[in-house]
Amino acid sequence: MNSRVVSAFAQKDIVDAIRNRYLLGALLTPVFVAVLLRILLPGISNLNFTVLVHDPGSSRLVSELRSMPQMKVITATSPEGVANELEKSKAVGGLVIPASFDSDIAAGKQPELVVYVNNKQNDIEQAMFRQLVERQFLASVKERLPAHLTWIDVNQEARGETPALNLNQMLLPMLLLLTFAMAGALVVPLLLVEEKEKRTLDFLLTSPASLTEIIAGKALTGVVYSVLFAGILLAVNYKLVGNWPLTLLTILVGILFVVAVGLFMGALFENTMQVNTWAGLALFVLLAPSFPSLRLPAMLERALHFVPTYYFVEALRLALAGTASARFWGHMAVVLASTVVAFAATIWALRRQQN
Amino acid sequence: MANAIEVEGLSRTFNSRRAVDDISFAVEAGEIFGFLGHNGAGKTTSIRMLTGQLRPTSGHARVAGCDVMAEQRRLKPLIGVVSETQNLYERMSARENLTFAARLYGTGNKRIDEALDQVGLLDRANDNVQQYSNGMKQRLLIARSLLHRPQIIFLDEPTRGLDPIVGRDIRRLVMDLSREGITVFLTTHYMEEADQLCSRVAFISAGKIVALDTPDNLKLAHGQKSLQVRLNDGQSLMIPLDDQGSGEKIKQLVTSGQIRTLHSAEATLEEVFIQMTGRKLSE
Repeated sequence: MNSRVVSAFAQKDIVDAIRNRYLLGALLTPVFVAVLLRILLPGISNLNFTVLVHDPGSSRLVSELRSMPQMKVITATSPEGVANELEKSKAVGGLVIPASFDSDIAAGKQPELVVYVNNKQNDIEQAMFRQLVERQFLASVKERLPAHLTWIDVNQEARGETPALNLNQMLLPMLLLLTFAMAGALVVPLLLVEEKEKRTLDFLLTSPASLTEIIAGKALTGVVYSVLFAGILLAVNYKLVGNWPLTLLTILVGILFVVAVGLFMGALFENTMQVNTWAGLALFVLLAPSFPSLRLPAMLERALHFVPTYYFVEALRLALAGTASARFWGHMAVVLASTVVAFAATIWALRRQQN
Repeated sequence: MANAIEVEGLSRTFNSRRAVDDISFAVEAGEIFGFLGHNGAGKTTSIRMLTGQLRPTSGHARVAGCDVMAEQRRLKPLIGVVSETQNLYERMSARENLTFAARLYGTGNKRIDEALDQVGLLDRANDNVQQYSNGMKQRLLIARSLLHRPQIIFLDEPTRGLDPIVGRDIRRLVMDLSREGITVFLTTHYMEEADQLCSRVAFISAGKIVALDTPDNLKLAHGQKSLQVRLNDGQSLMIPLDDQGSGEKIKQLVTSGQIRTLHSAEATLEEVFIQMTGRKLSE
């Protein structure tokens, strides 16, 4: 493969995508969505939470919680009562606060605060509850944590193997996947199909460029745009990343997979109308595993396991949570294998059309 | 002179339809070779096979000394192709189009201005191709195909849809290329153009070559030699020269002083084409 030829394609397409208003719109969509989510998602102040507390010392923390208009605080008589009630109730979480909590903080000690999270509740609610607690006790303190937090998940079977993440960690995989999907599964096939539609592919096929170099050039364009926007998203959310090497590796493999899917679509379809018609469905299928609050029927939930981006999202969530388990590498293997299959299918489809 | 193109028993079948059916011919280096046929006769399929874009079902072709399928890497820098569609990157300027092509071919940017100058587009080099007229786009396509100084250029309907003046400019350009020693493989709908430009033409019909010779030989072999006479009274006569007694008839008209104009009226290439294929080329 000639790198000069591949970079010539990528350079042409990177510039061309900016000149094409439709493609530029597609590329910028994830940025608009990210901004929109920031605006539309309820802030901590206007959440409707039910929280169970065991607070024998009548701490200032519970008073603050009670002062929040949308916060419903239910008192439990014992620490065990918090856990037991949480299993049955619709409360999103619970706090077990030691009797000497306020005085310990004042004395500079770090009292232990036990936080229960009800995994039966909506993912977004859980994530926002985690964020509320973190923000309340950690993010606002620069130097030293006022309390030692112990997290306990209740009804864990409802969450499955997904790591516990706060809201932003929950949304980041979705935004990253949306970015890759727009650049890889929409812009890349449109670039390839446009070459067919405008018959410029005929020129390319009579030039010294090989089919593999043409594919690699298009892929590089998708990768460059995905990396660029992923870089921006990660830079803005750098605090959310638990394990940088794993996160970057996951993102790179995810980009390659989505770009390979885009190339396959580009190879399969003959005109931009076909791409636009089918891309909506393809984007939905690719993105579905990343929607944080999706509570699907068991059958559909199982169907998501056939979508390789499910494994990408799971791997990314593990990487963001800083977990380098065997499960992480298993997910990565699935995404990587799917990428190879998609690339091979693209070459096959284009060769078949050529002959 | 060595052959620039050698084709032997070339065929291409799409499903069960034979688009090109066992064609054989050779094109000499430096020649302008016309490949004429109706829409769907097999011209573009033939060009696509000769330029390595399409695999033949059977047969062999060598272009610039290279096997078109086995030696594509070696072949492609030796040929230039102007396809029948104006396949340019329209959101890019002429210069950007050629810069991209130059990178693919590995030629320096120095050739870009030369090629643009050759087709008279140097002063509009930085305009977006979207703003170009059809004639300008056609000239840019030719510039792109010449960028890497190919030995052979394939021109698929290069003057189709162009106004007569632009068409004339393109024909001049083709003549210039031939003078520079570039072999030109030309398909066209315009018989006069083929007659004017081509040293030899092949008629292709339903995938088969039905005639191949110089335009003059084809006209002589298949047309009828005659004289067109216009008389003083406005009457027009066609006198076949092959007829016995035609000489006597002409002598009578001359001596009687009835002739206003007298022209030789040999068959046109178009007439020969119709005779051989049963249809006009423009149909």
